[in-house]
Amino acid sequence: MPPPDDLVARAQAGDQTAFRELYREHAGRVYALCLRLTGDSRDAEERTQDVFVRLWDKLRSFRGDSAFSSWLHRLAVNVVLNERRTTGRRERRVMPTEDPAALERNRGNPTEGLSIDLERAIAELPDGAREVFVLYDIEGYGHGEIAALVGIAEGTSKAQLFRARRLLREKLER
Amino acid sequence: MNERELQEAVGRLPKSIEPPRDLWPGIAARIDRRSWRRSLYWVPLAAAAALVLYLLGRGERNTWDVTTLAGRPLIGTTRLTASGRLRVGDWLQTDDSSRALIAVGKIGQVEVRPETRVQLVVASATEHRLALARGAIDAKVDAVPRLFYVETPAGTAIDLGCAYTLATDSLGKGLLHVTGGEVEFQTGQRMARVPLGALVQIRPASGPGTPYVEDAPAPLVRALIAFDFERGRARAVRNILALSRPQDALSLWHLLQRVQPSLRGVVYDRLAALVPPPPGVTRRGAIALESRALEGYWTKIQRIHFRLTVLRGVRRIDPRTGTTARE
Repeated sequence: MPPPDDLVARAQAGDQTAFRELYREHAGRVYALCLRLTGDSRDAEERTQDVFVRLWDKLRSFRGDSAFSSWLHRLAVNVVLNERRTTGRRERRVMPTEDPAALERNRGNPTEGLSIDLERAIAELPDGAREVFVLYDIEGYGHGEIAALVGIAEGTSKAQLFRARRLLREKLER
Repeated sequence: MNERELQEAVGRLPKSIEPPRDLWPGIAARIDRRSWRRSLYWVPLAAAAALVLYLLGRGERNTWDVTTLAGRPLIGTTRLTASGRLRVGDWLQTDDSSRALIAVGKIGQVEVRPETRVQLVVASATEHRLALARGAIDAKVDAVPRLFYVETPAGTAIDLGCAYTLATDSLGKGLLHVTGGEVEFQTGQRMARVPLGALVQIRPASGPGTPYVEDAPAPLVRALIAFDFERGRARAVRNILALSRPQDALSLWHLLQRVQPSLRGVVYDRLAALVPPPPGVTRRGAIALESRALEGYWTKIQRIHFRLTVLRGVRRIDPRTGTTARE
């Protein structure tokens, strides 16, 4: 397999084969992010496709100032949040994912049973709380960044995080 | 389940989940459709883009808004009351009791502290450039990297999407403190990358020193300053290596590129002992200063540093790996 930098350069030049390799390499990371932010596997599939279509459009603007994976990650967050802002069609899901096997596939050690419970609990969180929790606790963003990305006040981000953690602890104790 | 157990469970979540089906065919079909449309419509799109760029450029050309925050700053020889406009070539000057806020086009703002003198050098949609002759500014920019520059007597601060404080005297002795994102400071061939939560000393002629983190031990900071700007560099290198912690990896990454070639091996070994290199980065490549090796290492160091900084007080992070530390 060619080195990642070479793949990016070839894809930037319009090489769709190289772009497909980039997709293969990063699809899992992007899908995981979309699944957690949307809480729904069908939405996550759509958003993952949106991310890679947007990536194809914007790839030429990547100048290597940061790692490609970080740049793609930020792009994915923007795509998911923009979609929610523009359509406003998010609904509270009772069943967090219609494809529990997506989570089961990553089984491998005894602690993963808890991970699957946690994934379900995260998906069941209210939209605002889930987005802040995923971005802060899982993806490592700061409250300032989250506030800018989601379009809320920094204090709201902190409050949503507090709420999300409390709800998760309650759900996992049941 | 308590807070710590929740954080540990979060730390164990997989970073990657394979989609339940192959999404590539749908992506490929959409890309093909877009390419086809693009081939037909590039002329009107290009015309529209040119018109938008023209209008944006015309709106922003040559002037930025300035608001008085305290006292009565000067633009040229005119005292500013509430607000005004700074044109290309104009100097804005504050005395010991005045402050001003400059709107950097549409991408950010610069607060000009007391006893400061700045000039607007370039104001276009593709380049925003100030000259800081002396004093201090707090800059906050939300834009793609390399759109905003601040020249000082000792070099240029290049914004990579960030917030920072930059102070300098009229000779070029100063300090850059980054509070968000990342800034590059460049003097001739010498360059320093300063991420959030880090600082770099700046001196005339020699330019940026070696960056260090906010909580770096004082003896380490003194050793870095001795290495960068004083005599006795070999002894300073020994002190730096002895005093460095995993959290100081960003200092050692810069040091590796600044020591004489015969010392690169020992600097690399110390760096690798504190923060193991990522896959693909070899000792030979790093010592030869191959850009691929240096960039790969920097990406890892930067990621760990980011997590250490933003999760401070929230989660205990292993400074060698950036992962959540086990109790």
